[in-house]
Amino acid sequence: MRHVSTAAIVLILVAQSLSAQAPSGTAGRQGWTAPRAADGHADLSGVWANNSVTPLERPQQWAGKDRLTDAELEQLKRDISQVYDEGGDAIFQNVVQAALEKRKLASYDPTTGNYNQFWMVDRDIDHRTALITDPPDGHIPPLTEEAQKRRGGRAFQAVTEGGPAGRADGPEDRPLGERCITFGAPRTGAGYNSYFQIVQSPTTVGILQETIHDVRIVPIDGKAHLTPNVRQWLGDSRGHWEGDTLVVESTNYASRSIPFRATEQLKTIERFTRVSPDYINWEITFDDPATWTRPWTMMIRLKKEPKELYEYACHESNYSMPGILAGARVKEKAAAQKSNQSAK
Amino acid sequence: MNARILLCAATLAAAVPAGGVWSGEQSIGGEPRAYRAPRASDGKPNLNGIWQAVNSANWDLLDHSARPGPVIALGAVGAIPGGLGVVEGNEIPYKPEAAAKKKENGADWLSRDPLVKCYLPGVPRATYLPFPFQIVQSAENILISYEFANASRTVDMKSRQQSPLDTWMGWSRGHWEGETLVVDVTSFNDRTWFDSAGDFHSDALHVVERYTPTSPDHLLYEATIEDPNVFTRPWKIRMPLYRRIEPRAELVEFKCVEFVEELMYGHLRKRTGN
Repeated sequence: MRHVSTAAIVLILVAQSLSAQAPSGTAGRQGWTAPRAADGHADLSGVWANNSVTPLERPQQWAGKDRLTDAELEQLKRDISQVYDEGGDAIFQNVVQAALEKRKLASYDPTTGNYNQFWMVDRDIDHRTALITDPPDGHIPPLTEEAQKRRGGRAFQAVTEGGPAGRADGPEDRPLGERCITFGAPRTGAGYNSYFQIVQSPTTVGILQETIHDVRIVPIDGKAHLTPNVRQWLGDSRGHWEGDTLVVESTNYASRSIPFRATEQLKTIERFTRVSPDYINWEITFDDPATWTRPWTMMIRLKKEPKELYEYACHESNYSMPGILAGARVKEKAAAQKSNQSAK
Repeated sequence: MNARILLCAATLAAAVPAGGVWSGEQSIGGEPRAYRAPRASDGKPNLNGIWQAVNSANWDLLDHSARPGPVIALGAVGAIPGGLGVVEGNEIPYKPEAAAKKKENGADWLSRDPLVKCYLPGVPRATYLPFPFQIVQSAENILISYEFANASRTVDMKSRQQSPLDTWMGWSRGHWEGETLVVDVTSFNDRTWFDSAGDFHSDALHVVERYTPTSPDHLLYEATIEDPNVFTRPWKIRMPLYRRIEPRAELVEFKCVEFVEELMYGHLRKRTGN
């Protein structure tokens, strides 16, 4: 920062004395204090990337172990690079699990091929063995009985469903990402346009997700949540500051957009804490008594990204949707002709 | 006539445009009324809030009569309101061949207007859609988030880096001129329109926007539009923007892609029963 005015220095001093009174655990690590926005709050603004390779749930091979040793981490890096070297497709799958099992990843679409690794970024890696921090075993808690029954049927649509073999009677059968509606919020998927920009004013924080130009507007002025009549793909978010941590509570999710196949009762609580110049710890708690037997929490380390967000105009060039639907109709026609012929 | 008088005359001409477009500045002898907006934490005018245009510019930037809508079933609620234009001089200076294309576009707007398909609306059209938008202002970046289609753009107040590619919403770089936020918008593609009357541009479009607070609840919005492929000279629109002052005001999600899937892909749907 080139311009350091007297006013800014005064603000920094005031803010530092304020953060000294913040509850323990919310300030930065090792006495580090986050830079200040003009209004004195911790400055979370900028472009941030989620390119971590750490799996959501702890692999069986690492049961009971929440951190790798340096030697284990080096071995893992070697195993992962071998998986990358062997694969032709872009690796959307859990590459850590593949590396642990020393297995070759199967192609997503062996007939026509798929995005190759060119479309993916270099992934970040650290000593953690799972993104889930609570429960301590690193696993999503058991489903409630109700949720088990629900998932027996076909009552939801998630971003990651579908694939070439999925149903395509109409556009609504396809995953939300393919329809260019949303990748969901909070977007936890890593390594594929997983960039965010935070713009903060004293009363509002804007969180842009690069994928499908989704914007989450988070009022931090004490405004009440929307009434249950309003359901939104990205939910309805309200924020407040706890010391240097921005806490964002979201409800009012639309039934089909909900992360991790929860229900409309889902409440997510996100905690954004800038822990160093280059990292925000982004903790997300998922709480839905109709889906899980207890709330659970994951933590993503968002890394400062020097580049800007670019426009992700998806629907405007969605050539795959008419292709997928037309392809399904051609297949049906061929199948009908075949059954007509065999009937003759 | 000395240079000083010439300058005065020019100011007067700018303040009282020929088409009678609202100027937003009560002028006394050609001097704009001075209004000093409340300040943001960084000392700049505070534009934070939810804003909306209240006019019929999205139908037609120029003066126009009311007309029936294209969908019979919608009756009066689908009819198109008349309105007074927002273009200075009430004329868009098309080159002759471009004027012909505009006319064609207007005659076939339902199948050509990109907004019908829920495409990103572009700039300046995003500003005067019949939907609110929200400004989230920091010293380095100003986020403008539009309710329509979750469109947004980030006005970078520090970087002067050029866009590496063409876009629907343009590439916005801003600076302050006194009370006015000036946004220079470039790197457009040629696929957005200015209104449903078929007013269009090429990928050489360059828009300079000016947002000037004129009261606690009003902004004067001006945009100068330049595109040498389509127009013979730069032209200008101006309109007031109103603050949404309801205590509960907020953007309510309008992700319209799912509302146009039947229109765009319905012919590819699986037919049953025949």
